[in-house]
Amino acid sequence: MLDLHPLNDAFAAFGAYQAAEQERRRRRLDCACDALSDCAASWQTLREKVQQQEPTALVAGLREAPDRTYDAPERPTPVTAVASDGSQIYPDRHVEPTCYLLNVSRVAFQYGTLEAPVLDAEPHFEYEGALTEHFDAEHGRVDDEIVSARRDEKELEALRDASRRAHRDDRPLVALADGTLIRWMIRGMKDRDLEEELIGRYAALLEDFRAERLPLASYISMPGNTDVVNLLRLHLLDGDAEHAEEDPLAGLLDRWLFAETLAVGERTATFTSASRIQTRYAEADRICYFYTRVPDGRTGAGEIARVEVPRWVADDEALLDRVHALVASECEKGDGYPMILSEAHERAVIRAQEKERFYQRVERAMQERGLPPLRRSRKAQSKRRPAV
Amino acid sequence: MPEATAEIIESSTRAFVAEVHDGQEAPDFGSWVEVEQAETGDTLYGLVSHVEVSSYEPGRRPRAFGQSREELQRERPQVMELLRTTVRAQVLAYRPEGDDGSVRQTLPPRPPSIHDFVYCCAPEAVKTLGAPYDFLRTLVEDPDPAVPTDDLLVAVLRQVRAAHGEATGEEHLVEAGRALSRLLDDDHERLHSILRRVE
Repeated sequence: MLDLHPLNDAFAAFGAYQAAEQERRRRRLDCACDALSDCAASWQTLREKVQQQEPTALVAGLREAPDRTYDAPERPTPVTAVASDGSQIYPDRHVEPTCYLLNVSRVAFQYGTLEAPVLDAEPHFEYEGALTEHFDAEHGRVDDEIVSARRDEKELEALRDASRRAHRDDRPLVALADGTLIRWMIRGMKDRDLEEELIGRYAALLEDFRAERLPLASYISMPGNTDVVNLLRLHLLDGDAEHAEEDPLAGLLDRWLFAETLAVGERTATFTSASRIQTRYAEADRICYFYTRVPDGRTGAGEIARVEVPRWVADDEALLDRVHALVASECEKGDGYPMILSEAHERAVIRAQEKERFYQRVERAMQERGLPPLRRSRKAQSKRRPAV
Repeated sequence: MPEATAEIIESSTRAFVAEVHDGQEAPDFGSWVEVEQAETGDTLYGLVSHVEVSSYEPGRRPRAFGQSREELQRERPQVMELLRTTVRAQVLAYRPEGDDGSVRQTLPPRPPSIHDFVYCCAPEAVKTLGAPYDFLRTLVEDPDPAVPTDDLLVAVLRQVRAAHGEATGEEHLVEAGRALSRLLDDDHERLHSILRRVE
């Protein structure tokens, strides 16, 4: 039950606050835009400044003038586009024994041809093996973050396998992943050995893409990154942030900045990521990225998205053009979001009913062996069947 | 045995619904299909009374893209994959296993099973569904409410003629027409309307 009446004043104040906030953001954005064009002329100097930085803040590394923009080239036809996505049933805190499920999709389209598409998903039921050693001893269960990391790995693996199978001689290919390729979320796990192992395996997958010349890219919708804004701050404050009275770019996101500068279809320069987790990636696989204003087939202009690629892709102008063109064409067809990623999501998604069926099967498998039924705690039970 | 056209996904005494397999043409409205019942060995004959194309996923509705079929296949290859064709057939006759091979123009003792395969009837099989045309009575007196009965009758009569070929087609058509005439009593107007459309 929610009674909103006591909040009447709060809502009014909220409106006023937002108006003031928008105004502040407008001023800061103008400042950021000025800084972007201002630093372009001597960007090499700024690059050195970045390199001398303490690697505390995530500052975008420069490869070219940061204010450069590029039109979307025409997408080649025919072209092979591959995507994968994953979803999971996390271990349920109210259900024992610990087990979880990953559902990973594979989609491959041979655009410009009449060849049949690949659209499928493979479920993985996991309850033992290497990960059981990492069960939280206190609670006897796997942390959600481990399951997420495992899903990310399976997604990239599925993308690699689907790309191998879909690849045709002399036909360009782009493998498109969903979400960042920088595994920062693995950092800070309680279990350092596991952290190392997971990053190592992910790095090995990235190497496979490079070794087999399967151009990899990932699409990040509504990116919350501030790397480029951090770079501009560095330029503005000349490294003296501590003594600055006010942060002129406080609270700005990269995507707001580039919403000011990019026309539909255009992309920014490529930047390098300073995320330290990548020291475990091979140098050629370290992540570069650009922002792009994606087209939207319905409304015209779509969001500012971030596209990440390994360095070996960013270094090859033709590959980078191919990624840019494919992302633009995907978003055009997908109403502002890559169509192929939507399809990959549709195949991977697990619905509430399906989740319930999963638990029923787990329960039945145990009953067949004469084992006691799953223990559901009282809380889980009451959530399912509220009594009157 | 040719490749199966479809597979049963809903089944009852009077009718079944079958999903057309990928790469297979849907059977025509008013054409005969047969099902070999895995459980009993009987062969069931059904008349396709309804064909429907829809999305596999209830949450995803088809929409107009303004592209030709070939353009869609080239640039939105998932669209065709997400569509499915289902047919509903009225069960009108069956041939019991191990009998003398004659067809009984009445409902079988058991409905077909889910996942049984559905095949289009060859002209030879359609010929066996002939005189005395008792199945027409079922069609006229207990029609599928969702289907215009007379249009189905038109399609059935055309099938009769086609199965027998040029030589004797007309002859069999006249015989079936007589059976229909008796069923429709004095409703000459209706009979004529049906026969006109068979021509």
